Amino acid sequence: MSVSRRRVGSGTRSGGDGVVAKVLPPVIVGALFFGGWEAFVDWQHVREFILPKPSEIWKQLFDNFGLVRSASVVTGTNALVGLILGTILGALLAATANRYRAFGELLNPLTITIAAIPAVVIVSVLNNMYSVTTQTGRRVMVTLAVFFIVFVQVARGLRQNHPTQLELMRSYAASPREILRKVRIPNAVGYLFTGIRTAAPIAVIIALVSEYFGGTQDGLGQRIASNFSLSKTAFAFAYVVGGSIVGLLFFAGSNLLEYVAVPWRRRRYSR
Amino acid sequence: MSAVEVAQVSKVFNLGTADQVDALVDIDLTVEQGEFVSLIGPSGCGKSTLLRLIADLIEPTSGTVLMNAKPAHQARLDQDYGMAFQQSGLFEWRNVQKNIELPLELKGWDKPTRRARSLEMLELVKLGQFAKHMPWQLSGGMQQRVAIARSLAANPPLLLMDEPFGALDEMTREHMQTELLRIRKETGTTIIFVTHSIPEAVYLSDRVVVMSPRPGRITAVVDVVLGSDRTEDTREDEQFYDRITEVREALRGAEMGSAPLGIEDR
Repeated sequence: MSVSRRRVGSGTRSGGDGVVAKVLPPVIVGALFFGGWEAFVDWQHVREFILPKPSEIWKQLFDNFGLVRSASVVTGTNALVGLILGTILGALLAATANRYRAFGELLNPLTITIAAIPAVVIVSVLNNMYSVTTQTGRRVMVTLAVFFIVFVQVARGLRQNHPTQLELMRSYAASPREILRKVRIPNAVGYLFTGIRTAAPIAVIIALVSEYFGGTQDGLGQRIASNFSLSKTAFAFAYVVGGSIVGLLFFAGSNLLEYVAVPWRRRRYSR
Repeated sequence: MSAVEVAQVSKVFNLGTADQVDALVDIDLTVEQGEFVSLIGPSGCGKSTLLRLIADLIEPTSGTVLMNAKPAHQARLDQDYGMAFQQSGLFEWRNVQKNIELPLELKGWDKPTRRARSLEMLELVKLGQFAKHMPWQLSGGMQQRVAIARSLAANPPLLLMDEPFGALDEMTREHMQTELLRIRKETGTTIIFVTHSIPEAVYLSDRVVVMSPRPGRITAVVDVVLGSDRTEDTREDEQFYDRITEVREALRGAEMGSAPLGIEDR
């Protein structure tokens, strides 16, 4: 078992003088990357519509901050709505599938089928079903992607307990109901937050990509595509930066959520 | 009345299939009240299976298991024993105190009584100041002590232990053995202890039950006459070495001349 060998005090390793050692390398790598990019474009005289300089992207971002922000909010909201709905749906259906075996056997092939269909096909279908002037199709798409991840995780959490824990519960003559309440559900809650953490960045990607297939013109994905096609490459890159920030926010937020909500799972990933 | 009475017990896994295994054959074993009995033998000799049969975690193919003259199944329903495994099996979402309270919750004890009892148990295993710690904040030895505190929380007359110190380093292990003897003295609990370490079995036990594999059976029982006041010094006692030699030879005999497999000689 991976949980049984943790030592007292090992969680404080990264504190104190480790901060500089942790922050410095990525800063140096970042500076080298952007500096090298800038120098390469200058040196090779790369045309701006092929590859703009970081300084030009920064200028575009600065000048059009309001536009990038509002597009980020549209895409970010789609991702967030889909993430929340998909999580609720995934957790509820996993719990139901666990409770009623026949329902679970009915559901499993369906979820796998949904997961196997390329997102692009579903978006086109959904855009056709809901009006292209709403965000509904995109949000449903994100919901479906998140649902699958959370469903699999929660179902696993409800089923896979440590054998020793189950033997102990048997030695306590615990009823199936008690085992569910005191072992399976708490275990599944841990898996639920892992599912959310896994699904969050994917929600952003799906929200972005689903804009490539028509619909309203207000999101990041749409703006990136149209500005590239108009050869306003630096402007398109400014929206890419917006997308990166949204992605980072989702990544950090979901990690923080897991860290706070299920502290006992911290160790699994920090070493 | 004996604490545990195993009579003519056999266990066959996968009965009637190509994978049929005679895990245990014709086992007779009586453990008296307050006794410390170790089960030792190479991997596959059925010592863990025997312990699980006593605990009613699995059922015998034939024969009977009685605990205080009560069928094992009823004894489990009444929670007449506590159990500890090689893995601590702590519930990682519960703090140390709540882990110890779990069996008491299932027994329907009220909250103040549970609280008082769990703190008492933490004092017994000398972890009083760790009540609010989470399992992952503890070392392996500390986790195992919490598991022992939990197994004794409901004050069972019998404690079943399946290689509880098997995953610990040698220093921690010897320390835990001495702690277990102290706890046993304070609580008067009958203990059945599965191990594959000869010194561990000799140091802890009143009797060492030697088992052999294929099929699993009891081949010898060694009386360890080291008295009830065992300390770290006991480990350097000549008597101690004599008993170790006796158990080792019994194990060799069980293997019919070949070197015993899976036995720790340390």
